Amino acid sequence: MTALLARGNLAERVLRGPVLWSGLAGLTAFALGPFVWILLTSLKDHNELYATPLRYLPHHPTFENYVDAWTSPVTPFSRFFFNSLWVCSVTMVATTAVSVLAGYAIARFRFAGRDALLLIFLVTQMFPSVLLIAPLLAQWRALGLLDTYQALIYSNFSFTVPFTVWMMVGYFSSIPRDLEESAMIDGCSQFGALCRVVLPLAVPGIAATAIFAFVVSWSELLFAISFTSQTEMRTLSAGLLYMVGQYEVQWGPLSAGVIMSTVPVAVLFTFLQRHLIHGLTAGAVKG
Amino acid sequence: MTTVPVALTRRGMRPLLSARARRLLVGYAYLVPAALCLIGTVVVPIGMAIHMSLYNDVLYKPRDYHFIWLGNYARLAQDPVFWLTLWNSVVWVFGSVGFQFVAGFAAALVLHESFVGRSLARTVILLPWVIPGVVVGLLWEWLYQPNYGVINDILIRLDLLHDRVAWLSNPDLAMPAVVFTNVWRGIPFFAIMLLAGLQAIPGELYEAARVDGAGVLARFWHITLPLLRPIIVVATATRIIWTFNYADLIFVMTNGGPANATQITSTYTLLQAYSNLDFGYAAALSVVLLVVLLVFTAVFLRVTRGVEEVG
Amino acid sequence: MNDRWLLSRRKLLHTLVGTGVIAAGDLGWWEAPFIAPRKAWAAQPVRFQWSVPEPTRIALMNSLVERFNQSQKDFEVRIEYVPQAQARQKLISSISSGSPPDLCQAWDNWIGQFHGMGAVEDITDRVKAWKHQADVQPTAWQTVTIGNQIVSLPLSLTLDAIFYRTDRLKELGLKEPTPDWTWDEFLKIAQAFTKADKNQYGYGMRGAGTWAVLYPSEFAYANGAQVLKDGKVVINSKEAIDAVAWYMDLALKHKVTPPSAATDGFVEIVETFGRGVTSMYQHNSGSVGQQKKNVGADKFATIPVPVGPAKKRATFYFSETLTAFKGGRNKEGAWQFMSFMLEDEPSFMYCKTLGLLPARKSIISRPEFAKDPALSGFVESFPFAIVSPYLAYPGWGGKIDSDGVPLIQQAILGKISAKECLDRFADVLRKEMT
Repeated sequence: MTALLARGNLAERVLRGPVLWSGLAGLTAFALGPFVWILLTSLKDHNELYATPLRYLPHHPTFENYVDAWTSPVTPFSRFFFNSLWVCSVTMVATTAVSVLAGYAIARFRFAGRDALLLIFLVTQMFPSVLLIAPLLAQWRALGLLDTYQALIYSNFSFTVPFTVWMMVGYFSSIPRDLEESAMIDGCSQFGALCRVVLPLAVPGIAATAIFAFVVSWSELLFAISFTSQTEMRTLSAGLLYMVGQYEVQWGPLSAGVIMSTVPVAVLFTFLQRHLIHGLTAGAVKG
Repeated sequence: MTTVPVALTRRGMRPLLSARARRLLVGYAYLVPAALCLIGTVVVPIGMAIHMSLYNDVLYKPRDYHFIWLGNYARLAQDPVFWLTLWNSVVWVFGSVGFQFVAGFAAALVLHESFVGRSLARTVILLPWVIPGVVVGLLWEWLYQPNYGVINDILIRLDLLHDRVAWLSNPDLAMPAVVFTNVWRGIPFFAIMLLAGLQAIPGELYEAARVDGAGVLARFWHITLPLLRPIIVVATATRIIWTFNYADLIFVMTNGGPANATQITSTYTLLQAYSNLDFGYAAALSVVLLVVLLVFTAVFLRVTRGVEEVG
Repeated sequence: MNDRWLLSRRKLLHTLVGTGVIAAGDLGWWEAPFIAPRKAWAAQPVRFQWSVPEPTRIALMNSLVERFNQSQKDFEVRIEYVPQAQARQKLISSISSGSPPDLCQAWDNWIGQFHGMGAVEDITDRVKAWKHQADVQPTAWQTVTIGNQIVSLPLSLTLDAIFYRTDRLKELGLKEPTPDWTWDEFLKIAQAFTKADKNQYGYGMRGAGTWAVLYPSEFAYANGAQVLKDGKVVINSKEAIDAVAWYMDLALKHKVTPPSAATDGFVEIVETFGRGVTSMYQHNSGSVGQQKKNVGADKFATIPVPVGPAKKRATFYFSETLTAFKGGRNKEGAWQFMSFMLEDEPSFMYCKTLGLLPARKSIISRPEFAKDPALSGFVESFPFAIVSPYLAYPGWGGKIDSDGVPLIQQAILGKISAKECLDRFADVLRKEMT
């Protein structure tokens, strides 16, 4: 239930009606436009792709791009898919767990160096990841982790954890302390208060953080290419680049690959976004 | 200010550590996992880069490798391309993040309402974020192509344009064009983050305010914005920092061209590192960028009162 | 892992025919039936980085590697595919972190820097004892020789020529140009081809990437200019300035180039020709296969670059090389595979499939190369082709990308004159001469 725009006076009704719908239409059209183009491209064969003048709808739609990409032994998208799924899921779970703990601690506890620590988390993001490649490569090689999932997962932490910690600090900060305090007065330990009172309220924030971790590692490219060499270990993003040839971009298979790589994220999101719901606060705030 | 109720300690027993110390220890313990993640993957390489920037380190001239203290930094200060890239970076970052924020906030507000097909709409808005940056760059480069790209084609068919516009080859249009693509890609980030924040605001607050006679705008200004402040600050700060360092899109779409019109500091760093193999200079560039961002962030947090708690 | 590289005969057929690369008839080349790989390989596989992974090349390289692995039991080669925009970065990172591959496929203009890093294996002695050493073109050896060390084997050679639409020439009622056509004829044809309202342009000028600087340099040579003379940089001589000014006028005065010229890289110039937006462009033989697919083999041909006012012309050779690294662990295996790739059948198969020119004289004289009209422009250019003068100093390659290209772009846009462009470029080059 949204109370921001509850039924009411004219301003509210206008905002709720036409403004809302036109805003929605505009935004979805903007977001979806290029995707529609990719979808149409993925259904065209080579001749239609190169036809001039520009052809929008395929006259002979074909699924050969999808079949080629999925089953081709030279660019096994099925394998890339699985690799990405595994790496990103683990990254998502680990990152979320780590940042919930750290975010809560920073948001709630007053301790020396708190502000400096926050800044340090951010500082680690102020550095171009490109320059991190060589030292990281040396590290993974020394640990024997090249061409493994672990190298990718740990490297993903370098850009997911700082942001997710900050995110969780933000979300926890916007939950009033009174709730935990009343719980602790009622006999709860701090950790218990965290689990029973704060976490349920922070569910939207945690869901958003999980989505963030998954999505950014899903589209991560540089580390995937640098730390893996074997085709079987390639992730989906690296696999998509296989369609960029010596002198041309193979738009047919590339579009098919893009569509295929967005599907799992869309599915995951549809599932997770149910948690982006209004928190359970009935009766929680007293007075 | 939390005070641990004395009632929690067992009557008559003195705990080993004072309650305060225990709290501190627990607090630090919560941080250990995150700290571990970061030390290995980022802190050490940054240290190495700072070290590298103090040397003349050109990979294919290993015999010339020697300590030059601030030599790279002096060269940087006199490099006109560097200053140009700094300005371009500012345009790039504030242009992108500004529009991303506004549009993302609008999207969050829209998606906060309940209507039929809401979950579908949310999923659709998320999509631009999902594709790897390099592919986004390739795709939009194709869309912007003057001779066979969709944008020119549609604009000409709609009679909004007469001549084909070379979006990415025109030094005046190239930066707006890449910013536009970056905005397209970045809206979902703000939309999701702000949506989550909106969802956490208790409905009672709005009800109470309505009952007191506050209109929509007043409710937005006095309830929504203040409660969202920590998240807005966090999302914007992190996004600004991240965008400063984001090289993929520009690298693919224009490679800094035409004639350095879209060269930002991070793409310039890439160029120095991987085309000229001048890792010392590239490291110095990164350190300078790091300092700039540090200063900016410190100021930004101070001004917006950062992530201090609400209410 | 070995089973991954085992392609059954039917799967191989499917892949190759599916990519339209090799017609089923050519498969008679594979005499020996496929058998399971013998497991007696040495413990250390040969790591081979391949920098252009696209389905055609992947299918081809997989089959060649499989062939090699099957033909002997001492070494097993494993290919690591890296998308080409990241390939150089990855090589640099892996060299500096101490784990380079054993072998890589790289362009000759990368090798100078790698050599400067001390990363490249010197194979001079091996080459001197190699049976095909004399059969490889001398200019090909020049592209892979640094100082007096031979550091790579040239896998294929290529040089630049002009692609043009024969069908459109016929429609316009124009005569086909002869191989020693002049700049004036070039300009006339380009102007005839240009119909801006119909979105057609005469010449797809290249503004992005290293070759954006090399093409105008080739035109400068046609006017009698040079890059280096007596050890001094003379790229800003009067002849060079005049030549480059003429070249820029194609875009600025005669407007025979598309509006996107300033940022068009090799992908764009190939694609715009393939879609019929441009009717001529300058490139190496690598895009021949592409254009046969896009435009149709009967609709285009190639011709050497036009002769300039000084009655000269030049085109720059460069080669695709196989280079072994000092830090690699399996140098013998690397050498064995390198020399295998230059044997008769593999070299022929590789070059023919991709439209590249083999480095060995005996192979290039085969009719498939010598008599193909799409390749004739290149073959006819060999007599006046020279090794790219920009290979003289290892630092020049990077400077061309970082400084040269923006200067050329500004000149194409008319923001600076040809004189200013070349003067500044010459300064940049001079600073890098160590």
